[in-house]
Amino acid sequence: MVSEGLNHALLPGLAFAFWIWRDYNSPWLLIAAAASGLVMIWLSEAFQRTKLLDADASLGIVFAGMFSLGVLFVSNFLKQTHFHQDCIIEGNLAIASLDRLKIGGWDLGPKSWIVMLSIFTVQLLFVIVCYKELKAALFDPELASRFGLQPKLFQLFWLSIVSLTTVAAFNVAGSILIVALMIAPPAAAYLVTTRLHSLLFVSALIGAASAFIGFYASLSLDVAPTAPIASSAGVVFLLILFLSPQNGFIVTQWGHWRCNRETLECLVLQWIQDGLQERSTFPPRASGPFTKWRYILNRLKRQTLIDQSGDQLVLTPAGQEKLTAKLAEFSCME
Amino acid sequence: MFELLGDYTVQIVVFSSAVTGATSGALGCFAYLRRQSLVGDVISHSSLLGIVGFFWLWFAFTGNGNKSLWLLIPGAMTASIVAMILTQWITKTTKIKADASLGVMLAIFFGSGLTLLRWIQRSSNPIPGQAGLENYLFGMAAATTLPDLWMIGILSVVSLTCLVICWSRLKLLTFDPGYAAGLGLSIKLWELLLISLLVIGIVIGLQIAGVVLMVALLIAPASAARQWTNSLGKMIFLAALIGAVCAASGAFLSAVKKGMPTGPVIVVFLVLGVLVSVLFAPGRGVLSRRRSLVT
Repeated sequence: MVSEGLNHALLPGLAFAFWIWRDYNSPWLLIAAAASGLVMIWLSEAFQRTKLLDADASLGIVFAGMFSLGVLFVSNFLKQTHFHQDCIIEGNLAIASLDRLKIGGWDLGPKSWIVMLSIFTVQLLFVIVCYKELKAALFDPELASRFGLQPKLFQLFWLSIVSLTTVAAFNVAGSILIVALMIAPPAAAYLVTTRLHSLLFVSALIGAASAFIGFYASLSLDVAPTAPIASSAGVVFLLILFLSPQNGFIVTQWGHWRCNRETLECLVLQWIQDGLQERSTFPPRASGPFTKWRYILNRLKRQTLIDQSGDQLVLTPAGQEKLTAKLAEFSCME
Repeated sequence: MFELLGDYTVQIVVFSSAVTGATSGALGCFAYLRRQSLVGDVISHSSLLGIVGFFWLWFAFTGNGNKSLWLLIPGAMTASIVAMILTQWITKTTKIKADASLGVMLAIFFGSGLTLLRWIQRSSNPIPGQAGLENYLFGMAAATTLPDLWMIGILSVVSLTCLVICWSRLKLLTFDPGYAAGLGLSIKLWELLLISLLVIGIVIGLQIAGVVLMVALLIAPASAARQWTNSLGKMIFLAALIGAVCAASGAFLSAVKKGMPTGPVIVVFLVLGVLVSVLFAPGRGVLSRRRSLVT
């Protein structure tokens, strides 16, 4: 929730820095964004200290306020520049790819790509070097402080890295969908695994895959790439949710259905054994409309667990055995 | 600048914004007290897909672009209800928590909504009548027409009547849902009513505040009003007042200065309102607490 709002709150700093320096890849953008983030944190802490608003409301109001100031600044002072209102929503990938880093005659690629790559390296190093401390600080700060690991410091580091990434990714993701790109891939990865190291790897993979799919979709749809990238991340999440072989929706529902079917089979076997089919209220009819009971009876006949002579149903020896085994199983479970 | 208030279009804009601000502010009190600003955020962001989707469906069936609120508000409601059901289902069946599912809904609904919007607007073959659709991102009160005002008015009257009729039970459910359940009130039904009121409170304001900032129009008047009173009735009335004033002034300012999106202006006014309330409210406010410490 905080990182989400942080992304919104960086906008005024970015807009102001761009207004002064007119360069997307200037390091001042990072500094201004960091200052903006600090202002946001200070303001929301101040609000929360008054204890007059609950946490969610105070965060929400500070984010909304700062974001609105950023939007107003952009639409009033940056109208004719590259950083216009659309950029807030979806970044500015086309311009970004043209601004290249040239060192001594070598074209090293777009500046924003280099920046993003360096931030990725910083992130990777940070996570690798401080893995245990980060894990402790983020998941169990009390334990971490008892070990003397200073969780507040790590949380501050982590917030700074989130801000850095937000600023660097502005070209691709704008200010709004960056939240989706930061949350949807990890959420999708969380459906598949719970161990932290595989979580990191899988969400990075999903993020990269969504970016690929989204970008090519944007080419064929003739739209800016940010939105298709975010929706691909969402689509990947839905796909995993439904199709995952361990706890995907489809597999779970099928499992339930199979369980139901087995229970009904045992029930029908029991009924036949207890001679309840004399009763007119006995649901399984060997003839008549095709209901689930007919389906069960057909299954039982196919498994040679019951025999039908005319209108009478009897259990075969195999059926008897199965029934006693199942009853024993159920009574063991009591 | 104020002579523009004599202009008929501007009057419609200001009046509809005031009504919207009042309704959202009033209904937002329940969202504020029940800690539902996150749900509100999901609802407002997901509405984009519904708004753009219904616009596109209408075009696909009739070949015309139609941006009337009578088409787009049902679209917003449909999409947000689907998003809420999906969120509830995800939090119930997986390990993913509520605020992570907000990010996922953002990706799915807002992302596809934005993709569809940009596709509708594509330079190679844009759909006719799409020009104002982008305003639903940050709000543009100047686009309000008379039919829109009717839709807003009807929604307002319906929800506020509901509020008045069910007043005592809504109050009970907000502050003591356990006791309400013990009294035999059907919690499911009443939750449904409260959620419907929340959805109405949000979609009614999408045209003036936009999808991204609507949640502030819902929560900020309530937060400001809370500082001035402890009574729910007075709080709702005050929130409606604050919402109406800020929304109307914001809409007026943005209509006068062409090209300024309405949502951010309203939010700036609202945040000022919250600041003033937090600092100066008698009894609870920061300054009055300082004074009582000193004397």
